[in-house]
Amino acid sequence: MNPYVQSLLGILLSAILTENFILVKFYGICPFMGVSKKTDTALGMGMAVTFVMAIASAATWAVNHYILVPLELQYMQTVAFILVIASIVQVVEMFLKKAMPSLYQALGIYLPLITTNCAVLGAALVNVQKGYDFLQSVVFGTCGGLGFTLSIVLFASVRERTDRASCPESFKGFPIALISAGLLALAFMGFSGLKIF
Amino acid sequence: MNFRKQFHEGLLTKNPVLVQLLGMCSVLAITTSLFNGLGMGLSVTVILICSNVLISALRRVIPSQIRIAAYIVIIAGFVTIVDLLLQAFVPALSESLGVFIPLIVVNCIILGRAEAFASKNGVLASAVDGLCQGIGYTVALCIMCIIREFLGAGTFGGGILNGGEGIRIIPEGIPAMQMVMPVGGFLTLGFVIAGSQWLMKRMERKQKEKEAAEV
Amino acid sequence: MKTESTFKYVLRLSLTLLLITAVVAGLLAGVNAITKPRIEAAKAEKTTKALSAVIPDADTAKQLEQLPEGTQIVAAVYESDTAYAVQVTPGGFDNVITMMVGVSKEGKVLGISIISHTETAGLGAVAAAQNAKGEAFRSQFAGQGGDLAVTKDGGTIDALTGATITSRAVTAGVNAAVACVEKLG
Repeated sequence: MNPYVQSLLGILLSAILTENFILVKFYGICPFMGVSKKTDTALGMGMAVTFVMAIASAATWAVNHYILVPLELQYMQTVAFILVIASIVQVVEMFLKKAMPSLYQALGIYLPLITTNCAVLGAALVNVQKGYDFLQSVVFGTCGGLGFTLSIVLFASVRERTDRASCPESFKGFPIALISAGLLALAFMGFSGLKIF
Repeated sequence: MNFRKQFHEGLLTKNPVLVQLLGMCSVLAITTSLFNGLGMGLSVTVILICSNVLISALRRVIPSQIRIAAYIVIIAGFVTIVDLLLQAFVPALSESLGVFIPLIVVNCIILGRAEAFASKNGVLASAVDGLCQGIGYTVALCIMCIIREFLGAGTFGGGILNGGEGIRIIPEGIPAMQMVMPVGGFLTLGFVIAGSQWLMKRMERKQKEKEAAEV
Repeated sequence: MKTESTFKYVLRLSLTLLLITAVVAGLLAGVNAITKPRIEAAKAEKTTKALSAVIPDADTAKQLEQLPEGTQIVAAVYESDTAYAVQVTPGGFDNVITMMVGVSKEGKVLGISIISHTETAGLGAVAAAQNAKGEAFRSQFAGQGGDLAVTKDGGTIDALTGATITSRAVTAGVNAAVACVEKLG
């Protein structure tokens, strides 16, 4: 197989499973804990994040490659990236409002929160650190988002049950949720030896 | 301004990590040695104080419609400054925290305090608030680090004491290395929060009993 | 607010934001100017240190201007009178590991030195640690040829306990360096 395609597949697999954004790398824990009470909102959040991450990875790659690197302004990366991400989220919000009002309604308050999701900025920064090219960056961003969706949906379905189960007073709410997340992370550790080539 | 009350809130009743559940990405990710925890805690505290002061000073200048964007730019600026300074003067810390230093930008504690406190209060009070919340964050990080390092690597003070190796408490081979892996992060934070909730409820009950006795 | 036209209003908002961004950018440029020489000096020093750790005559080493074609994860190649030192960046458990591999002109590994990494403290980080365990792990590579693998994958390199991924990454880095030297002839 072509080594380039191989590298893309490698990125795909690692971003979704072995280096799952939430359960292995800890990017995006805030929405993971905050928006995981119900499976369907979790799915909506996951899709929105995936969408933003895909666009943001492409846009930040372009900003870095065509503006920051030629001007030797790499130290402005964090500032530039967060501004790009904030504007993308804003545009996506306006676009959804006009084009898909029903989805906009469903996502409502979660949309602006995506700006402060570590996963989006994290993906943009890791793309630069690992020296990915345009296509690799987009694949990494998209699959990172899919990995995020996978774990948040799994976690929400676990939480729907644990919330009704009885547990010691002090463990109610977040502590027991964190412990269930720990067990999920343990399961994802099983993927850690996985490679495809 | 009531300094004692703010300190008490930052450390206990409104601890950013244990009660407000903010900024958990870094709490889970980097708490594998005491060196990381202290370094991250101090960096966040410095950035929090600086951004709180500046945002509080500019609170009448920044129009409210663009305040979030303005806050993010200010915070990102301070984060980059700290990042560059660490790279230049403490490269070991900068390497070991890696991408989680730039990710302080999206640490909800900083934006949260900017929006909830600094945009409504004076410069001095905001500085104190930044300091207290930062200390609360650092303490929570260090608790996590100590527990995870003890159970996972069997050492204390990794990265600082004993030439960077830490003081060995449990002999090698016995500690459960899962504790310094992602799993351990979730489990430890779960137990630490449960512990703090239990402690807080107990304190509340005692307080009530005391009040009842006085009446 | 009502006396202001929409245009003026939008202009005011954008200008305020622009001003803040400009001030922040100016401040950063200043800090960058102060810290840049230090950061670069620290990096250069690390590279020199790694070079002298992996090849005997490091003072004669010069960086090659062009990398051989078709190499993967190779960041830089240095050539001295008797050996090559190849800087490689394999992907570890957390992020890329930057390491220097000394390879003799016959294609045998002379030694490895890890320049920077973000592996987990106490696990993967041992690969770079200046202690007995780290030394033992790194010294396994000396004298070997290419195509190495950890014992779990049927090879000869003993992986670090609990850090198979880091060990595999380091092994992959060494293989890439040897392959690169073979291409150089």
